[in-house]
This record gives sequence, C-alpha cells and structure tokens, in this order.
Amino acid sequence: MKKYVRVDGLVWVILGIAMCIGSIRLQLGSFHTPGPGFLPFLSGASLGFFGLIQMLSTLFAVANEQQQQNSHEGRMKWDWRKSLTPFLTLMTLLAYILLLEPLGFVLTTFVCLLLLFKFSEPKRWLMPLILSSVTAVLSYLLFSVWLQSHFPKGLLTFW
Amino acid sequence: MAGFFENLSLGCHVAFSVANLAYCFIGVFIGTLIGVLPGIGPIGAISMLLPVTFGISPASAIIMLAGIYYGAQYGGSTTSILVNIPGEVTSVVTCLDGYQMARQGRAGPALGIAAFGSFIAGTIGTIILMFVAKPLSELGLRFGPSEYFSLIILALALLSYLSHGSIIKAIIVAILGISLSQIGIDAVTARVRFTFGILELQDGLGLVPVVMGLFGVGEVLINLEESLNIEVFQARIKGLLPSVRDWADSIGAIIRGSFLGFFLGILPGGGAIIATFASYALEKKLSKHPEKFGTGVIEGVAGPESANNAASSGAFIPLFTLGFPSNAITALLLGALMIHGVQAGPSFMDKHPDIFWGTVISMYIGNAMLVILNLPLIGLWVKILKIPYRILFPLLLLLCIIGSYSINNSKFDVLIMVIFGVIGYVFRKIDYELSPLVIAFVLGPILETSLRQSLLISGGDIFVFFKRPISVACLAIALTVLLLPVILRGSRRLREKIT
Repeated sequence: MKKYVRVDGLVWVILGIAMCIGSIRLQLGSFHTPGPGFLPFLSGASLGFFGLIQMLSTLFAVANEQQQQNSHEGRMKWDWRKSLTPFLTLMTLLAYILLLEPLGFVLTTFVCLLLLFKFSEPKRWLMPLILSSVTAVLSYLLFSVWLQSHFPKGLLTFW
Repeated sequence: MAGFFENLSLGCHVAFSVANLAYCFIGVFIGTLIGVLPGIGPIGAISMLLPVTFGISPASAIIMLAGIYYGAQYGGSTTSILVNIPGEVTSVVTCLDGYQMARQGRAGPALGIAAFGSFIAGTIGTIILMFVAKPLSELGLRFGPSEYFSLIILALALLSYLSHGSIIKAIIVAILGISLSQIGIDAVTARVRFTFGILELQDGLGLVPVVMGLFGVGEVLINLEESLNIEVFQARIKGLLPSVRDWADSIGAIIRGSFLGFFLGILPGGGAIIATFASYALEKKLSKHPEKFGTGVIEGVAGPESANNAASSGAFIPLFTLGFPSNAITALLLGALMIHGVQAGPSFMDKHPDIFWGTVISMYIGNAMLVILNLPLIGLWVKILKIPYRILFPLLLLLCIIGSYSINNSKFDVLIMVIFGVIGYVFRKIDYELSPLVIAFVLGPILETSLRQSLLISGGDIFVFFKRPISVACLAIALTVLLLPVILRGSRRLREKIT
C-alpha cells in the first residue's frame, strides 16, 4: 500500500517531463510572442515540480506514516473482490461503445442494462429482463422520439 | 433606480413565462431528487442534463440548471435527518443534530426548519446577489488580461487551500485541469497540441464527457464497492411546521447562517461546505448550552441548512460578474453559457439582462417551489430513498452514456467519459479532489489567453503582473494562501520546541 501511495508523485513527475518535451517540440516562442508550447511548458514544469514535492513528502514522511495509514484506511485498501463489480461495469461500458453501431441503440442498451442488473442480482433473471427491456424502450422513446437525439439504428432498422 | 426596476420587471417577465416556470420546477424537482438520493450529486446530474438544454434558450437552461443546484441543497437535508447519510457533502453537519432530533421523534420539526431555513436563506442570498452583482460587474470592467491572469491564479490557489485533503494534491489536480484544457488546436497559431493524431481531439476535450466521467461514472464505480443499503427512519413523520419555541431558537441561526453562507459561497473552493461547518461552529459558540449540540438541538440544523443554501446564491456572484466559477457546479454553468454562445463576465448583466434577472427571479420562485416540494411531499422522498442502488446505478450509467453521446453523436465522447470515469474512480481512491480539475479545465483557456495577451501588450515584460495594483494584490494573496500551511506548520513546530 505504501508503494502505491508513493507512486502517484512519480507519475506526475514523468507526465510533467513528457509535457515539457512535447511543449518544446510545439515551439515555446518568446516572452514577447508566446508560442503554442508556452503555457503547456509552464504547466508541465509545475506538474513535475509539485509531483516531486508529493513524491518526496510521501517518501520522507516517516513520522506521519502510521497516522497517514490510519487516515487512509478503508479508502486506500485496494480489495480486488470489492473492485470486481466496478471492473465488470467498466467492461460493460466498453462493450456498449463497441456494440452501439453494429447492434443499434435499443438492442445495445437492453443487453448492457441486462448485464448491469445481473451483476447485482446474479440468481434472478425475470426482474433484470423486465427492467432492462422497459428501460431500453422508455429511454428510446424519451431521448430519440421526444428529444430528437440521433442514435444508431443497427440491426433494428425499423426503430 | 429606474433601470433596476426595469430589469426586475424584465426578470419577472422571463421567469414567469410558462416555459421557464416549468423548467424551474423541473430543475428544483431533479435537484431535490438527487439531493435525496445518495450516490449522485448535483455535478453529475447537471452534466447529465447539460445536453438536454442545448435545444432551449440560454435563460431557460440556466434557470433549470441553477434549480438543480440549489434544489440539491434542500434535498440533501432529508437524508441527513432521516437516514444519517448526507445526500450532499454540504449536509454532513445536518446529520449531527438532525438525525438525533429524528430519533427523539422530532423528524418533522427538523425537516420543517431545514426547509424554511433554506427558503429564508435562499431569499436573503438572492436579494444580496441582486444588489451586489452590479457594483462588482463595474469593478470587473476595470480588469485587463493581467488582472484576469492573476485572479485565476488566486482562484486556483484558494481552491487548493480550501480543498479537504492535501494542498499539494489539489495543486497537482488543478495543473492537470489546465493541461487538459490545452489539448486541441491552439487558438492563436492554429497548431495542433497533444492530440496524438486523433482527429476527434482537435476540438479539445468536451466539458460534458469529462465531468460526466469524473462525477457520474467515477461516483457510480466507487459506490459499487461500498454497500449502499439504506435504513430509512421508520416512524411516521408528523408536525412538519416548527413550533413558536422552535422558531425562537432558530431564527437567529437562520439569519446568521444566511449571511455567513452567502459570503463564504463567493470563495472559490468548497464555500458551501465550509459555510455549513462555520455556521455550526458559530452557533455552538453563541449558544447558552453548547454541550447540547450533537444531541438534537434545532439550531444545529437551522444554521448549517441556511448556510448551504445561501452559499449556492453566493456562488453566482463571481460567475455572473467576472465569468469565474467558484466551484465545479458553477464551472458547468459557465460551460453551459459558453455552449449557448453567452460570455459570462463584467458585461454579462448589460448584454444579457434577460438571463441574469430571469435567473435571479426564478431563484425566488424556485425557493418557494422547494418549500412545497419538501414539506407536503416528504412521504414521496422517503419512498424514493428506499430504491435500491443496484437498480439505480444502471440507470445513472445509461443517462451518462446518452448524455455524452448525444452532444456530437460520437462514440469517442462516450469513450472519453469512460476514461475519465476510471480517472475519477482512481482519484477518489487515492484521495485526490476532483473539483479543482474541473474548474481549472474550464478556466484554462481564459488563463492562457490572458497570459499571452498580457505578455504581448507589455512587449514581453514578465513583470507586467506586478505592475498593476489589482494583479499584485491577487498574486500576493495567492502566494500567502499557498505558503500559509508551511508557515503554520513551522510556527507550530517552533512552539512545540519552545514548550
């Protein structure tokens, strides 16, 4: 856990350096006529600087470590069993993006909602089926028909 | 003065139109709803509904979105009092005495005083907003690019200082927000920046997918880790109208909370949150029986609930007068105005009196609607509170997907939303606050333009920011604010060594 807390400062330092290099390539310009890389360079340098402070402060805060651990307890612990549902939800969202155009809005919404409802009720089928089909149809009527949003039709071209 | 009444009449004309009354009602209704439901905040709700407002007039859009904002402050108290879970962070303090009152069979007066206190505070806040906005706008007209640059630096410094966790982390997040705002085509040279060859990034990252990801998807993901099984207070809620004794105990707290909340609400950062804690501390200090605080005293509910509502009115001051958001919600409102082609800032009141005065008058109407929504309909909110999160979260995610897709009919925006959802989830896990990122992301382009204009006008003089009084004052305060924790820590250590 300690390593995990300390790694964030290092990430910012690397990102800051990368931004500085990218900004130099974009041209910094001069103080009179700042170029497109001027503010990104300042941002990158500041990010790297404060990332370094963050890294050093977590590295050398030995005295406060116990206190820090206590204060971060709960939120900081990365319990993979707990993170399984968020991970599956995330995968479902990515699947939604991939399936939206080939399957269309209504079908994709139905399939993904069914999966999401099933994550929390793995033993039951009827309720997730009803909830996902009703929500898919209602959201289509509300957003596509009433609010005139354009969604891919996909397989169900008649919708 | 004649102009004032003319504007007031214009505001009434705008706010009392049937359509805007409906938008105001929808806004406060959704605000109360999301305030009641833990696991979704006004930021997520406003970002989800932002695309819906594209087809309506800017005045109607702001009336509705503002309604969500202050409506959420009302709704947040219901869960604090009945469930001991704050619906909003600004209602955390209400739990202390509100829930104790409910346990003693006084849920009714607690809910009643929260609603009436919020109404009085909302009204006081709106009145101050009406009178303070114009002089501040006139002051804002004196601001040049160097003043704007320094003011943004001050806003970000204050925001970092007032954030809940580490100041360094808050600064990092704010810098990250500025950096993200630089993605896309540079407005001056038309050079493409940090797009990595992705065509969709040339217009920059969209505000809606970013905010929806951070506050919508990120919040859902984090809530899925925690069980949100809510046990609602079961006893029948009766006697919503506070007694004369309750009023006598609370009226001072309401008025003090209103003024305190309004002025703290102007500050960038967690103005409303600080206001509630400050109001609670003030009431405890002024009380003849401070030891009873935390056991169910009505002042402990009245003060903070008034403060959080007044703070939401105060937050409109920098938005309307300087074009500055003081929190993530007003940053979204600024984004909404920009999408509608409206520039918030010192000339906003003169150029768009219909939006300003229409919104102000709608706040009076909205506050009255909220009293009606929150007292007679309390049973409905209690029922909504019982909806399990396992049913709610897929619907919230669907709203996020539809909201981000419908802006440009682009899958890429949904992908951006998912990526920022992961960022929001990780940042919450490692205690990085998200509000500075959103505000810096919105202010980033203004910061860059101001910086480049200042340097260009001054002929490349980097000391231009130290030559104009307002700019110097802003930078000096910003520096003090940033160094304050170091100074305080140093003096504490010195004192410890001496003793």
